[in-house]
Amino acid sequence: MTEPGGQPAVEAAVAGAFREEWGRITAALIHRTGDWDLAEECAQDAFAQALRRWPRDGVPDRPGAWLMTVARNGAIDRLRRDSTYRAKVEELAAMAAREAEGDTPEPAADESGVTDERLRLIFTCCHPALAMEARVALTLRTLTGLSTAEIARAFLVPEATMAKRLVRAKRKISNARIPYRVPRASALPERVPGVLAVLYLVFNEGYSASTGDDLIRRELCDRAVALTQVLAELLPAEPEAKGLLALMLFHRARQAARVDDRGDLVTLEHQDRTRWDQAQIGVARRHLEEAVAAKRPGQYQVQAAIAGCHAAAQTARATDWARIARLYQHLADMTGSPVVELNRAVAVAMADGPAAGLALLQRLADSGALAGYYLLPATRADFLRRLGRPEEAASAYQEALDLAATGPERRFLRARLEEARSQSA
Amino acid sequence: MRYLLIYASDPDLAAQWSDEAEAEVFSWIEETIRSGVNLQGTRLRPAADATTVKIRDGALIITDGPFAETKEQVAGYDLLECASLDEAVRWAERNPHAWAGAVEVRALPDRAPAVPLPAPAKDKIRYVMLVCTDPSVDPREFDRVDPVDPWVTEMDGRGARLYGSELEPPGSARTVRVREKHAIVTDGPFAETKEQIAGFDVLECTDLDDAIEIARGHPMARLGVLEVRPFWPFESE
Repeated sequence: MTEPGGQPAVEAAVAGAFREEWGRITAALIHRTGDWDLAEECAQDAFAQALRRWPRDGVPDRPGAWLMTVARNGAIDRLRRDSTYRAKVEELAAMAAREAEGDTPEPAADESGVTDERLRLIFTCCHPALAMEARVALTLRTLTGLSTAEIARAFLVPEATMAKRLVRAKRKISNARIPYRVPRASALPERVPGVLAVLYLVFNEGYSASTGDDLIRRELCDRAVALTQVLAELLPAEPEAKGLLALMLFHRARQAARVDDRGDLVTLEHQDRTRWDQAQIGVARRHLEEAVAAKRPGQYQVQAAIAGCHAAAQTARATDWARIARLYQHLADMTGSPVVELNRAVAVAMADGPAAGLALLQRLADSGALAGYYLLPATRADFLRRLGRPEEAASAYQEALDLAATGPERRFLRARLEEARSQSA
Repeated sequence: MRYLLIYASDPDLAAQWSDEAEAEVFSWIEETIRSGVNLQGTRLRPAADATTVKIRDGALIITDGPFAETKEQVAGYDLLECASLDEAVRWAERNPHAWAGAVEVRALPDRAPAVPLPAPAKDKIRYVMLVCTDPSVDPREFDRVDPVDPWVTEMDGRGARLYGSELEPPGSARTVRVREKHAIVTDGPFAETKEQIAGFDVLECTDLDDAIEIARGHPMARLGVLEVRPFWPFESE
């Protein structure tokens, strides 16, 4: 977006409207015209006009309706210039007429019974026939309005690469006729996990990596949460959507305590728990309870339950590790993921002692599934340290350091390595 | 006998695809139709618009992209009625796709019908579904593949399948490339990969989800890979 020039209140109103309305506007225009580029350009123009006119004319009573009208009129003007689009112009004009008569502009329900345009757009952007990286880029650009440059920055690729990725994805949607529709109810269980995977990936990209631009990463988290919220509201029968929302909120509630003043990573054990956002934890817990009540467990619900266990512990010592170990076992059975198995080893080490954890790690190392993953030697190092075997711990820390990518992780491991070396000396 | 000419385009030879080649394609199609050889054919959207469908451990797996990551990629086909493989190869040599890539000539079993495609239905989109083998699947599994007939009967009945046939094994295929105006004919398919095209179907669908639903019901979804690729009619941009 362009830099706002008006008073802070107007800027805040435009920024708020941007978050709330961008996806709604692009979704409505894509539905009416089938033209993704046109939809994006007209939404962009509408917000640019708001920045110019709201400081002068005041913020309209219904900012969303104002923006939708401006974007739609812009689309009509553009299409009129090209007479081959007569049918689309008529679509948009009819949409305006219905609104003028006071009819709700809501489209007819899909076979799924869902009416929100954004939901159709989510399912199109996250369609499994698109490559995962294309799904992520398209979701961020079309539904949340992040600019191509911002998305490129978040994923550490050149802007031209990201632009190409977006063009390619939109071309495939049109050429292969990927539908703009919510899958019918019977297909939802098959398709929802793919959508959740995209949203979780966006969230994780913002949450876990510490390289790059902090601001844009925080933005990724917030956008992922907002979209998951939409999905959880619109698909109340899908407990995994609520489960994922709970999981994200539990994590985000700890965000302030995760990094210290120097920008270094603080492990869960050492975090200042008074800095956790209890209100957000409460919201997360309610979502999780609602999800679990549906009695259709899934991996996000289990992960959220684990995060909820941590959030409930007032001190690291008070953590119910035995329960967490059981939840990880449950999760490992569901996913077969070696990373989950690694986490289970950590929980078991806390519940039953580092020797028990070390035995599980050994099995994992023998399988070779996590070769090259720095957390495997880093975890082994931690167990060895706690077992009072500093020399072996030091060499495992060194091994982890050789594999770790980001600054804070490396600083953390180096500090631990020094510590282990001084103890073994 | 019926022969499928599968066109494979080579991105390195894209420069060969001149206006002259374009004009040549039209006259080639015109000539094959006029002489009664050409039963049907189309160009296809690029491999980037392909989607593959398979079922493993009961779960549907949908992937972006073609069935095999080869340099040359399927770009279209024509189905010819010829007296012999040699005649089909001679037609292939004159097709400009042989200059800008390769033309694979594959025989259809005798039982394959010789019907042309009907006029396109309004608001529908056509796809070719390439039925491909998956080298990671144990060949012994193929003894346990369900018969395809119920699927064919159902899809024909719904009007979703317009044509389709198995192909004779790739071992009996010929591949034609024209380089520096010389035709080079080799035995075997265009792609030297373990994945091979075993058959094809022409589908008429409302959209890609419709095509995916149709593809997943094919018995080969469990043992092979189905590539769904949109037609690219000349009248579209």
